Amino acid sequence: MNAASVLWQKNPALAWREIDETTVIISPSDSVMHELNDTGSFLWKNIDGYKCAADLAALLAEKYEVAPDIALTDTQSLLEEMSSRKLLVPVPAMVGESR
Amino acid sequence: MNAPEANSGGAPKQQFELSIGCVPFRLQMADVELFRAASSRYAAFAEAAAQPIHITLNEFSKSESRPAEFGYEFEGAELRASSQETRFDGVRNEYALDSLLRVLLSWKLVGRHGFLLHAATVVRDGKAYVFTGRSGAGKSTVASLSPEGTVLTDEISLLRFENGEWRAYGTPFWGEFRAAGSNTSAPVRGLFRIVQAAENRLTTLRPVVMLRALLPNVLFFSPEFEANRRLLDILGHAVDSIPGYELAFRKNAAFWEVLPE
Repeated sequence: MNAASVLWQKNPALAWREIDETTVIISPSDSVMHELNDTGSFLWKNIDGYKCAADLAALLAEKYEVAPDIALTDTQSLLEEMSSRKLLVPVPAMVGESR
Repeated sequence: MNAPEANSGGAPKQQFELSIGCVPFRLQMADVELFRAASSRYAAFAEAAAQPIHITLNEFSKSESRPAEFGYEFEGAELRASSQETRFDGVRNEYALDSLLRVLLSWKLVGRHGFLLHAATVVRDGKAYVFTGRSGAGKSTVASLSPEGTVLTDEISLLRFENGEWRAYGTPFWGEFRAAGSNTSAPVRGLFRIVQAAENRLTTLRPVVMLRALLPNVLFFSPEFEANRRLLDILGHAVDSIPGYELAFRKNAAFWEVLPE
């Protein structure tokens, strides 16, 4: 399994909602508030446990009319950041499954 | 309202009914000293209402194994709440009782589209001005610079959305005034993040910025996901529908001049 094929899902432990056109995410365990910018909000809405970075980048490229390679770089960067803040978690691979 | 109650065994129990932000409670206890202290502390909020949340104090024996939907511990005192009962155990004084009552109220308010906020609330022309900030930001200063009889609370405000509007309520939880807040309410005119400064200045805040200012000052103690999701919805609704501002103010009453009417 390579990094680009990882499927992402929202961390199920987090509460979130859109406020003032900004996605606000709260971690109940420590009350830390995270805010996502426009691009981050777009990705967040489309992260559903069934899409990898390439899938999300394709949506981003279409939405913002940017070149696919730039969209992929931006998407991977944002996913990395959201993952490091524990906003996202990878979908566990099924036993015997190869991606 | 505050009468001894018949008891099947042990010391006679006494009960005290109060209502905070239209959330009714019935405290039942056998400890006479604690009963006196609670009756005095919450006298301004004494009120009998239908279907109060029944709290038994220091009755360790019953239904120990019943699972709690919500629990909290504070310096040896313990709160356990389920749909059937609410118990405060290990409560040795009024301060522990007060702490557990705040915690319980914050949890109950989630189901009533409300929340508790570290904030002073002052009523002017029938509207509530809610001043929030961390300890030392100036909540008590704002309250002390406001006309007598207009302060709902200098420490903990209760906000609820009801009948199509946000209302702020006083609470019996003390700040530096060392006196209970006022048992009244008023529609909310605005939320004000307070900052002490050399001059008085008012700045409008976007809802998301106001939310960022509110979060550290919201009293909430449940780690449970669903409760937090509902709280976020309530707070999101509040900052979307109540005008939010930053109030930079000097320590004199002239700050009222920059506030919106």
